[in-house]
Amino acid sequence: MVRREIVLPVTREELWEALTEPERLEDWFANEVDVDLRPGGAASFRWSNGEERHATVTTVDPEERLAFDWDDDGRVEFTLADDADGTRLTVVETAPAWTTALDLQAFAFAHVGA
Amino acid sequence: MSAPDPLGQVFSALADPSRRHVMDYLAARGTATATELTGELPITRQAVAKHLATLAGAGLVSSERQGRETHYRLTVVGLEWDQRLGALQSHLERRRS
Repeated sequence: MVRREIVLPVTREELWEALTEPERLEDWFANEVDVDLRPGGAASFRWSNGEERHATVTTVDPEERLAFDWDDDGRVEFTLADDADGTRLTVVETAPAWTTALDLQAFAFAHVGA
Repeated sequence: MSAPDPLGQVFSALADPSRRHVMDYLAARGTATATELTGELPITRQAVAKHLATLAGAGLVSSERQGRETHYRLTVVGLEWDQRLGALQSHLERRRS
């Protein structure tokens, strides 16, 4: 499991738009984005290096929670929460097949540098 | 030894200092070709190719063919999210200014 948290100086509404509107996602997540924003809806992401990934939306709780399953492997969940400095965004990506190896990788990687 | 041993593969892949240098370089650069890595590291292209194959076998590195060159990158999902969230932060800052 990979987990990241970041506090962003925007409202939950602003952050939700950046996470769900294709034209916004195209400015930070991928180069071409299509999203059918409802549980069971299809999403596709294309990058300028030729990479393309598809996903299925699983959870849409406006301004609170968004989740999708990568069609290749893994699940991504965004959680939004109020914070004194704006909105706290938590991202969790899990994929049963490689969870253990990745956790080890993260540990090992932290000790590789310098 | 016939059972898959992914953790053993990861351990032995990381045990070699040259392979850790390859990973350091990929972490800093994002992607690189075997030619670029050979220029950066004091090892032969043949050795670079062998290290990349070992890292790929352990699931630490993935490759993508672009024309005549193969590009390699770390498959560490955490690094991907660090990059994406940095991009999201910049995206939101751009809209504010």
